[in-house]
Amino acid sequence: MKGFFVGGALLLLLAWTGLASAHTPLCACYDNGDGTVTCEGGFSDGSSAAGVEMRVEDKAGNVLEKGKMNELSEFVFKKPDGDYKIVFYAGPGHDIVIDGKDVSE
Amino acid sequence: MKRTIGFLIGMALMIATPAAAHFQMIYTPEAALTSGGELDLKLVFCHPFEAGHTMDMGKPLEFFMVHKEQKTDLMKDLKPITWMSETNSGAAWEAKVKARKMGDFVFCLVPEPYFESKEDAYIQQITKVIVNNAGMPTDWDAAVGLPAEIVALDKPYALWTGNVFRGVVLGDGKPVPNAEIEVEYLNHPPVPGKNTFQKEPLVVAPQDAFVTMTIKADANGQFCFGIPKAGWWGFAALGVGPMDKYKGKENSQDAVIWVKAVDMK
Repeated sequence: MKGFFVGGALLLLLAWTGLASAHTPLCACYDNGDGTVTCEGGFSDGSSAAGVEMRVEDKAGNVLEKGKMNELSEFVFKKPDGDYKIVFYAGPGHDIVIDGKDVSE
Repeated sequence: MKRTIGFLIGMALMIATPAAAHFQMIYTPEAALTSGGELDLKLVFCHPFEAGHTMDMGKPLEFFMVHKEQKTDLMKDLKPITWMSETNSGAAWEAKVKARKMGDFVFCLVPEPYFESKEDAYIQQITKVIVNNAGMPTDWDAAVGLPAEIVALDKPYALWTGNVFRGVVLGDGKPVPNAEIEVEYLNHPPVPGKNTFQKEPLVVAPQDAFVTMTIKADANGQFCFGIPKAGWWGFAALGVGPMDKYKGKENSQDAVIWVKAVDMK
């Protein structure tokens, strides 16, 4: 039983590692003009980023909002008043940080 | 006297033989965008290597884009313009189109067939260009379903200079064995903000065969072309579509695709 779980965990780890190393994560955000920002994500092979963790942080790194890419591989959040950054976190070494200033108008 | 007449006929034939090919163009400066926005598209029927004679375009029959398999009609966005070439001016079209989301935007144009009086025949170049935003591949390798179409086997917006570009020529949805394909370089890129080509060419061809290069597809309709210089390259597969007659005359229904290469710096 123990072997089954360890094997399963190893397989999962290998599958995750394979996915993460083979494909480059991609994320782009744009201002909707109504006080919200939409981020879209994905991977360079065209696969969806649904479920990928998303964070909106202030300049000091405090998390202002946290969520996940939805089934359309999108994440919508309320635009913060001050400086902010968006973190797309698809695993270690596969995170993307976008400065709020670089969000397309 | 006979010699003089022969010489004059020979000269007339040389002059009548076009050095460059007709190419329907959908031009926008960049194929690979880092952030989306409004694209400025120019639809011009021209001779791209020499910036020569611009043919008058009628109102296109279809102009649309495909993004994430969704088709959007763009006919209402078309506005008539006058395009200046090195030798004349011609009727062309422009459109400003929003492309904000990530992914591929496949722009497709089905022009009204153009009557080429010298050949007493029509030419209809069904044209495709693919613009990508933020690197996410979504639609570039799928056939749109045009009657004459080149389907890319390499991302047409992610080519380094020296890469090859490969495609499959389709006529009525089926591969066209041994299709003849003309290739031209956009040697006088359009001047930003103006409806004209830049005057200075980027390269000089040593001979006419280098102006319009002709390559052939293989038995499966596939072709491959090594790209020697950065910029836009046009590929036109001639007479591959099923509509070979229009208004009682011959019609060459061609498939055109434009790809852009960039230098490694």
